[in-house]
Amino acid sequence: MHDLDEHLPAILAGDLDAFGHWVAGAEPRLRASLRSFATLVDTEAVVQEAFLRVWQVAPRFVADGRPDGLLRLALRIARNLAVSERRRSRSSSADDEALERAQAGEVGERAPTDPLLRLMIEACRNGLPKKPAIALVARLESAGGEADDVLAGRLGMTKNTFLQNFTRARKLLLECLQRHGVDLRTELA
Amino acid sequence: MMPPEKPSHTEPLVEAVAGAWRARDPRGEIRFHPEWYDLDDRGRIEAYEVARASRFVEAALDPLGLSSTAKAVLARIRAR
Repeated sequence: MHDLDEHLPAILAGDLDAFGHWVAGAEPRLRASLRSFATLVDTEAVVQEAFLRVWQVAPRFVADGRPDGLLRLALRIARNLAVSERRRSRSSSADDEALERAQAGEVGERAPTDPLLRLMIEACRNGLPKKPAIALVARLESAGGEADDVLAGRLGMTKNTFLQNFTRARKLLLECLQRHGVDLRTELA
Repeated sequence: MMPPEKPSHTEPLVEAVAGAWRARDPRGEIRFHPEWYDLDDRGRIEAYEVARASRFVEAALDPLGLSSTAKAVLARIRAR
């Protein structure tokens, strides 16, 4: 795994594209570090808020000479956000050990950069039935920018039908990948 | 895009929560998905796992390796 701090000079200069490259590399590890909080907080919201805060504080970030300094900061921000939300919801204790391991860099989930994998996913996506395919494309194109009821309305579907079509697309995609020897459980392990 | 071992009655909720869309509060902070509160522990873990796998696939499909989460964050920053 390469050091994501290679993007640091450009990020410190306010380069949003460089921040995007950094986010692409950091997201799997950040998300994995929050697994123990999955029952306690909405981890998607925590991940997004943590990245926004990293961007806000990045200009003042000072590297300590060890690899992945900004990622370690992001993990701390995400952890603090999760703890804060956990306290707010008065939930029981979570597995802080997993977070410590994550902060120590032991969460080794990699970003999906394999071009062959990309081609395979694209081929499987192209083979989806029409309605599941348009539900999948709608979500991909919206990129988290619009709520499901908005996307559903645009496609002339109820929200429930839209989600059912999306679920079908997801499962068919997974089955197709498995038939071609790609097991996402292994990829994500 | 890892499904649960068997179909769940909360599947539409899980699918909704596993998406990357999140509303903002008046201060601009990201809110929890409203349907996250309707999930039990099993459903929340399921949503987490579905999201993790979905983001992996989304990033794999994107030429820059950006998932929907990454794109939502960058769009939010650009909009400021």
